[in-house]
Amino acid sequence: MTSLTDRYLAATLRSVPTGRREEIATELRASIEDMVDGRTAEGIDAATAERAVLTELGNPAKLAARYTDRRLQLIGPQYYLAWQRLLIVLLSTVPAIVGVLVAVIQATVVDNPAGAIGDGVVATFNVAVQIGFWVTFVFAVMERLGTPLNLPEWSVDQLPEGPVERDVSLTDVCASIVFLGLFIVFLPWQQFQSVVGPDGGRLPILDPALWTFWLPLLLVVLVASIGLEIAKYRARRWTWWLVGVNAVLNLAYAVPVVWLLINDRLLNPEFVGQFAWLREGGLDTITRISVVVIVAIAIWDVVDSAVKAHRAAR
Amino acid sequence: MVSDDVLRTHLQELRRGTVVMASLVALRQPGYGYALLQRLSGHGFPVDANTLYPLLRRLEEQGLLTSEWNTEESRPRKFYRTSDAGEQVLRRLLDDLATVQHSLATMIEGDPQ
Repeated sequence: MTSLTDRYLAATLRSVPTGRREEIATELRASIEDMVDGRTAEGIDAATAERAVLTELGNPAKLAARYTDRRLQLIGPQYYLAWQRLLIVLLSTVPAIVGVLVAVIQATVVDNPAGAIGDGVVATFNVAVQIGFWVTFVFAVMERLGTPLNLPEWSVDQLPEGPVERDVSLTDVCASIVFLGLFIVFLPWQQFQSVVGPDGGRLPILDPALWTFWLPLLLVVLVASIGLEIAKYRARRWTWWLVGVNAVLNLAYAVPVVWLLINDRLLNPEFVGQFAWLREGGLDTITRISVVVIVAIAIWDVVDSAVKAHRAAR
Repeated sequence: MVSDDVLRTHLQELRRGTVVMASLVALRQPGYGYALLQRLSGHGFPVDANTLYPLLRRLEEQGLLTSEWNTEESRPRKFYRTSDAGEQVLRRLLDDLATVQHSLATMIEGDPQ
């Protein structure tokens, strides 16, 4: 027989287990020859008939998969939903946490405030890619091995309680609480642990004088914000009462911080003195950017909650 | 008007299980791959070769077909034959098909329109 059939057989049998290869080869060769004979009997020349038959049998990899019952999908319906859920939960929390941590460490311990945001974004992206790859990889391997997941069967008890769609998702609430928690930890941490002073000495970032009143107030506001997140999750959606509390908390946070920033009272003067670029005008730039960002986030947050409450009330 | 694609998908799904039945019936007399392909399409069961050949192997692995090599002719051919187990499964499948047809018929007759 000509080489085209040989090449087709070789390509098909490459991915068939060796134990069955010989038998399948002999049978498939006979079948191909029968099909070619069938066509030449109709007056078609042998070469054209062979091409037509092999074309009809199609992609060798696909045919081999049919012989061996191999799956032509990365992750099948048995695992897809578990894969999707795990990926969403991980991607919506871990990269952001790592990114914020890296940015905070860069800005403080490593003494690289200028590159902090860039490094944070890069870390977020890298972690997201790694999570995406490894989760998918593990599920693809399980699909190949047919590992049972042993997840509990779905039951009606898992149905959401209200007929209204949930405006407030658990992942959003968790992400917010983690962020607020990091912020709360940061305030005492920067006082005692940040290593920015001369000769590796410890120098607080924020003005220590603020501990008499302003920083404790900030801590109270942050703890209250965590309470608001929990109340919001339990209420399942934004209510006007929650919007009111949210507005008050945003004001209680943004107004003092902006006021302290504008009056140059937020940062520790000794800390500012350590950096030439902060002393020489850098501080004004940072103040302007921070004020704009803080005000914009506060306004956006209040408006967003009001819009969601309005939508939920309809 | 329904698109050709939709119609083709539904027809394909309706036909899928019947190829197994047709093969088990046809192989009550021993036959090899290509001959079976010809017989099936001759009786109105057009099957793709790349579906039928792997299917025969799977039915053999499930014990519904037995096989024997015939080396007397010009090329060695594997002859399949419906086994006793295959015959039992076939009877169950035919019964089920008859039940489905009967149910459909009563539903069509019972419909007021």
